[in-house]
Amino acid sequence: MADKGFRSFLDDLDAAGELKKVTKPVDCRQLSALGEQADQATIFENIEGYPDWRVATALVSTRKRLAVAMDCTENRIAFEFEAKSARPIDPVTVKNAPCQEVVMEGDDVDLTSIPMPLMHLFDGGPYISGTFAISNDPEHGPNVGCYRLMYRTPKETGIDLVSPSDMRFYYQRALDKGEPLPIAIAVGVHPLDMLAASYKAPIDTSELALAGGLRGEALEMVKCKTVDLEVPADAEMILEGELLPIGWTADEGPFGEFSQISGDVKWNPIFRIKCITHRKNPIFYMLQMPWENDWLAAPVTEAAGLQALRIASVQPVDIRAPVGSCGYWSLIASIKKRPGEGKNAVAALLSVAEVKFVIVTDDDIDIYNPDELDWAIAFRVQADEDAVILKGARAKHIDPSVKSWLLGKGGLPTTAKLGIDATIPEGVPKILYRRIKNYGRDRIKLEDFE
Amino acid sequence: MSPLATTLKTSLETEARQFHDVVDDHMDVPWQEFLQAWGELREIDILKRDDQGAYYIEKS
Repeated sequence: MADKGFRSFLDDLDAAGELKKVTKPVDCRQLSALGEQADQATIFENIEGYPDWRVATALVSTRKRLAVAMDCTENRIAFEFEAKSARPIDPVTVKNAPCQEVVMEGDDVDLTSIPMPLMHLFDGGPYISGTFAISNDPEHGPNVGCYRLMYRTPKETGIDLVSPSDMRFYYQRALDKGEPLPIAIAVGVHPLDMLAASYKAPIDTSELALAGGLRGEALEMVKCKTVDLEVPADAEMILEGELLPIGWTADEGPFGEFSQISGDVKWNPIFRIKCITHRKNPIFYMLQMPWENDWLAAPVTEAAGLQALRIASVQPVDIRAPVGSCGYWSLIASIKKRPGEGKNAVAALLSVAEVKFVIVTDDDIDIYNPDELDWAIAFRVQADEDAVILKGARAKHIDPSVKSWLLGKGGLPTTAKLGIDATIPEGVPKILYRRIKNYGRDRIKLEDFE
Repeated sequence: MSPLATTLKTSLETEARQFHDVVDDHMDVPWQEFLQAWGELREIDILKRDDQGAYYIEKS
């Protein structure tokens, strides 16, 4: 059995003093509010009406806990992600799996037997928020992503397939043939697997091999019971079934989005479940929105930014996707600049997914210090020369400023993007940026005079 | 239709309600039982949404 899994990560959090255990009885309608208030990752051990289940949440809702998952320091997460993702390890297939210790099939399928929480005030129903969703396409092969599921009936959920994604592409191809798309949903996998699933990889890239690279060991997979797919053997729970060929016609949402906004009702396909398997005494994973999602998004965005900079032959020194931008919409990077590379870096970073705001600085600026950033923007930027605007780029529906309500069902929005080159302009003598330094600061110490 | 599903149906025929309002009205009902009743309404495909995301049912 693999060393890294959902349960081993809970042990790692516990060892780091980052896991709270709640033993008093908790109703599913209380889980989200309680998890949001906890200053640690939390496991609820006594769920009313669900004696066999526990619920874990907020496992990576801080950068510190994500660093525990990555086994590195907080400011090295993106670089670790980049390095490990460059060494993918193909998954292996096993015959027996903890995730199939209990099997509910056919008429026995009953989603209400799972402690699905009502998470946010305006949600359209209970949600399964932390998913590792697997699909397959005859031409492009297996794909993994993260998609929320809204409870509809004991055998059906909604699934958010509004935004551009590989699974949406696979679904469209099946829909064009009038066929359902078989999928499988794993719940309760290691955060590294979730990171791999949310990575914006080219369509033919194996997220499963990427997960192996991040883990440093092959992901162990097991064949599903009712669909021709494989799922992580050490997951807590698996939902097997198919996306019905109905297109974007079923109401889904609102849901407390990773954009920190409640969102609106969307029109989406329906996921019909044929089989539920899970461990004995399983742990349901409730991904806490928005922070847990945002901290999972940040290193993926940062690593994509590093990759874009390297492809543009620009040398990055540091990069961060601010959590205020949900780890997704903004990138700030410092670079070792040669003439012209400030603009090259801006262009490269604006090409990353739905990133719509970019700042690039020289490597003397600490990009984690907002005062340093303000200083660079104040004195290294001329708006008519250093601000770059791209119009008509790909966008996400949940950004209200793209006015997606004006689109038809299934329509895709576009956005404008802004980049700021806050590097020292070419032709300005560097001596003009010589920083104030107090005379004798290196040798005269205040403590010697106290 | 279960008695609880009938109660939910009657309520949503009277006025559009957010999901959390419907939940608040039945906090004394075990969660699983509530979800099963909600599922009954979904299965017969009578739930509509207004522009605020509230659920309602058109009177037949």
